[in-house]
Amino acid sequence: MNEQIKRFLRRYGTVLGALAIFIVLSIVAENFLTTRNMFLLLRQMSMLTIISLGFIFVMSGGGFDMSVGFSVGLVAVFFAAVLNATGSLPLAILAGLGTGLVVGSVNGLLCSYIGIPDFIGTFAVGSIAVGVKMLYTKGNPIFFMRPPESFSFIGQGYIGLVPFPVIIMFVILAIAIFVLKKTSLGRRIYAIGGNPTAALYAGIKVKKYRFITFLISSLGVAITAIVLTSRLGSAQPLAGENYLLDAVSVGFLSATMFGEGETNAEGAFVGALIISMLNNGLTMLNVPYYFQFITKGSVVILAVLIAVLMGQKFRMKF
Amino acid sequence: MSEVFLETKGVGKEFNGVWVLNEIDFDLKKGEIHALVGENGAGKSTFIKILSGVHNPSQGQLILNGKEKKFPNVQASENAGIRTVHQEINLVSYFNVYQNIFVGAEIQKRYFGFPVLANKMMKNEVEKALGNLNIQLDPKLPAHTLDTSHQRIVEICKALVHNPQVMIFDEPTTSLTEEERNRVLAVIEDLKENLGIIFVSHNLEEVFRLADRITIFRDGKKIATKRKEETSQDEVIAMMIGGEKTFSKYKRQQCYVQEASCLELKNVSNEKLNDVNFKICKGEVIGIVGVLGSGKTEIAKAIFGLDKIKDGEICLNGKKINPTPQKSVKQGIALVPEERQEQGLVSGMSVTKNITIAYLDQWVKNGVISHKRERETAREKIELLGIRTTGPDQIVRYLSGGNQQKVILSRWLSGDFQVGIFDEATKGIDIKAKEDIYQLIDKLAEEGKGVIFLSSYLPEVLLVADKILVLRNGAIVGEFSPDEEQAEEKILSRMLGGSGYERAN
Repeated sequence: MNEQIKRFLRRYGTVLGALAIFIVLSIVAENFLTTRNMFLLLRQMSMLTIISLGFIFVMSGGGFDMSVGFSVGLVAVFFAAVLNATGSLPLAILAGLGTGLVVGSVNGLLCSYIGIPDFIGTFAVGSIAVGVKMLYTKGNPIFFMRPPESFSFIGQGYIGLVPFPVIIMFVILAIAIFVLKKTSLGRRIYAIGGNPTAALYAGIKVKKYRFITFLISSLGVAITAIVLTSRLGSAQPLAGENYLLDAVSVGFLSATMFGEGETNAEGAFVGALIISMLNNGLTMLNVPYYFQFITKGSVVILAVLIAVLMGQKFRMKF
Repeated sequence: MSEVFLETKGVGKEFNGVWVLNEIDFDLKKGEIHALVGENGAGKSTFIKILSGVHNPSQGQLILNGKEKKFPNVQASENAGIRTVHQEINLVSYFNVYQNIFVGAEIQKRYFGFPVLANKMMKNEVEKALGNLNIQLDPKLPAHTLDTSHQRIVEICKALVHNPQVMIFDEPTTSLTEEERNRVLAVIEDLKENLGIIFVSHNLEEVFRLADRITIFRDGKKIATKRKEETSQDEVIAMMIGGEKTFSKYKRQQCYVQEASCLELKNVSNEKLNDVNFKICKGEVIGIVGVLGSGKTEIAKAIFGLDKIKDGEICLNGKKINPTPQKSVKQGIALVPEERQEQGLVSGMSVTKNITIAYLDQWVKNGVISHKRERETAREKIELLGIRTTGPDQIVRYLSGGNQQKVILSRWLSGDFQVGIFDEATKGIDIKAKEDIYQLIDKLAEEGKGVIFLSSYLPEVLLVADKILVLRNGAIVGEFSPDEEQAEEKILSRMLGGSGYERAN
């Protein structure tokens, strides 16, 4: 193999993999390649994409956020509570985003400023989030009395043929690509992820920027939670907990694409597409639900393996 | 002193076509301390690494007890009875003294056939051994509660557990206080009765106190082996330096020192620095020399704001500053750090991104980084410094050491700094790149910038500096002009030993 082919495979191998999955599913699952299912697939992947886009900011900065997933339900619960109490969607959205920012600030305070290892700190915060939401709801879902119409539009509406969550996804994807590629915030986050000591020696406020990555991650969680709640029509305290593993898979998958082994937003989109195609296609093929966990676990291992072989370093502090 | 039992004949080592060690004949007798001295890069470390099995010699023989040996790896050398006590301390911090000493060689006994740690036995052994060395130390203290000298002694005991025939000490007294130093040296002296000891040190006082014989290395060659009684510190220094200085043809043209001062340190002290005072003027290049552990890097860190200072003040253009790395970059202090890989570069990023990372705002307009203008700057610098790369987008880890260093230099050159701190800036790079850096420093001085050039390699400091300060144990112990008579001898003797403060003229 010559160098150019190698380089191409390094950058686009995973994309080719996604394409292969797509083609295989189109052949073996007869309802896979239909307009309806394509939009369904896009809508299914939109929430995973959003949460993963937040998550890769932390990963790009060399950190890790175990609280994604657990905090989805927490945001959903407070969002629903405020919506029920006030009947105002803007206020409810503010409450949801605010809850996310609180979670992110605590993560950032503990892991960046105080220096607790990311894995432990964010995991503990995730556990507290579970406790708080269960305490508040006793584990029961919160239903809505008279939800404003605009509320259900977030998760269920369409603009033309396109589901609204898909539009939210693409807007956030565009923002994430822009911030990571084109702004000093993104550049500095990557520098910290690449070598925190060198970043400090170049005058970058490492702790501040790591704090910001946790905020962004939780913001992704909050938006995902709001879309999910609208889509389900109720706030489910346990909803979204599976997003942790999925977002981790997407993060590592993204690191195998388009670059030198660093996480990136375009890659996260393709990664979320891979995970969602597997979910969608395997369901269509009547593969039992629990088998999907095995598939996804294997995808994570594969993605991490490729990412490590490509030079992605694990700087996460245990 | 009895028979020779470790010997090397014509040992040499070549890396990528460069012979860093040539034809070393060396011998060690039982019951002697044999010191190795030489400037940085003279080949001492390489030689030790050959003896301890880290490197394989490219030529020559190793003879142990009359038999030729090969040490393909460290284990082989250790099995043959050679143990090295390294400069770094590698203890498990929460293990206690005897746990550390027996780590990997634990004594076990059997209870009902199961192996169980014999803690009491290990503790007693350690107590006995420490007693023999006249060291009072509770074997149950965790390693992190010990001072550096006791940690060093634990390292020594770790080696002794394996009953070595030869012990190699590599700079065993680095960054120790006077009292701690004496403690460690006394232990080494006690040990020589039963073994052969190779002692590497930058401190000639220590060498003359301990050694029976001294071997001098220079430029990868053995210059001489002398019995202590038949030589002197001055003679050893002269042999370390050698007659002619062939290392570089670089020559400074002019002195650009201006009247106005730009940076001043007044009575600066912290854990590693002791009342450091100096002033640097615009256009001045100050060289600060000192052996490893003398506090050079700590000066750089204090000025740049990476380490806090406890006492004293740092003034930039006459105004007191409380530096942090962020403020330093803004205020025009640039640091080329000692460890290029760990502290300087984001190795997975491109040349361009590594260059623009410190003064990134320059290329940002309305919140957006202009990749085009970034690359233009990078191209400019690549040309200016002659960086050998496939282009501005090449990932920096694929560049050679010298070119990587030039990337870091470009980073600071793309902003307008006032004071440049170069910490071992030419470490591990080829002579051409070194000369490029010397030239660059000269140019910076011409532009009126203040340069602090920290190095443990005296010959290069003599080439670039207007004034040379000697640092030892965190204190400035001498000030010299590179042009004075026999500057190198005087400075080196000040770096390596001798007490009190000495001033030129």
